[in-house]
Amino acid sequence: MSDAPSGVRVRLWDGPVRLVHWSLVGLTGFSWWASEDHLDWHQWSGYAVVALVLFRIYWGFAGSGAARFSSFVRGPGTTLAYLKTVSSRVPSTTPGHNPLGALSIVAILLVLLVQVGTGLFAVDIDAYQGGPLSDRVSFDLGRQIAEIHELSFRALQALVVLHVGAVLFYLVWKRTDLIRPMITGQRLLPSDPGLGRAPWWRLALGVAVAGAIAWALSKGLRF
Amino acid sequence: MTTLMSKGATLAVALGIGTAITAGGAFAHNDSMPKGKMTPAAHAAHMRHENFEKLGAAFKAVIDETKKSDPDKALVQKSTKTMTTLATALPTWFPRGSGVEARAKSEAKANIWTDAAGFSAAASASQVQVSKLNQAAISGNMDAVRAQIRATGGSCKGCHDKYRQEKKS
Repeated sequence: MSDAPSGVRVRLWDGPVRLVHWSLVGLTGFSWWASEDHLDWHQWSGYAVVALVLFRIYWGFAGSGAARFSSFVRGPGTTLAYLKTVSSRVPSTTPGHNPLGALSIVAILLVLLVQVGTGLFAVDIDAYQGGPLSDRVSFDLGRQIAEIHELSFRALQALVVLHVGAVLFYLVWKRTDLIRPMITGQRLLPSDPGLGRAPWWRLALGVAVAGAIAWALSKGLRF
Repeated sequence: MTTLMSKGATLAVALGIGTAITAGGAFAHNDSMPKGKMTPAAHAAHMRHENFEKLGAAFKAVIDETKKSDPDKALVQKSTKTMTTLATALPTWFPRGSGVEARAKSEAKANIWTDAAGFSAAASASQVQVSKLNQAAISGNMDAVRAQIRATGGSCKGCHDKYRQEKKS
């Protein structure tokens, strides 16, 4: 990837976006592994995912330029128009998520919400282990919620495969490396998109609120 | 920009509803006892399912209660008594031929019958733990009940890991 096209080095992904992204990658894998015999760890991992997802949604409204939903979520018309161009073998220059990638992000965030939401109420087959809010539901309902929890994980797996597949497609077919920017935060673009930056206090506020909600949920809302 | 955003939001909501509908299929799993005539083996398989539901519900009632700062001791004692009765009867819930051949959704593995000695030992181990839980509840010491919950759950899992195959609806 040492082709050096002319362009500007842009600070595309801010630290919070990258940290949330890779933390979710790690925790999703970990939660999957821990779901079999380490449900204690699975729960702790889930609380971290709650905090990360809530923060990411907040950051989608309060974060820096490319992190904002308003900067990448597009209507069906724009998305279809983009879809028609996607197979052309030219590098992608969207400053952030393209309209298709936006669907991927929104879908993954929604499924993650279903995932942690059901996890809070799910009850294990032995009845011994359950989410922190599982005492609000019957054994029977808790078991049904646990089945949805498994089902939505299948959906999450499918979305992850699609997401990784798309990134590889961009890398191989379009020769656009989307992975490195998600690590370094920097990307070479034809022109500076003039992305805004969020002040630090917004970050602090989001971390505090998301963390507090996740903590309260982990306590089963019992204080 | 605003209209585009709201279109995106509508799309997101539609996606969410789609997920929820798909997930709703999971509820098909919970079948109640069928009406009409059944073979004794099929009847046993369905009864077993209902009994395990009762056992799980009773254990969950104990766990939920002990999470409270002021547990209802009478409810805990009632639930552990139910658990003891069910755990004692548990080995009789598995007449030969009452596996998947009797009820397609049965999660009973064939080794329950091919490894009858091992299954019997696992069931006995569970009875011992449930009995200890019941004794703790009778003593009225809720910390003792809390301490015995893990071992009891472990004995359920011990049997499930070996003699149960999880089935999707």
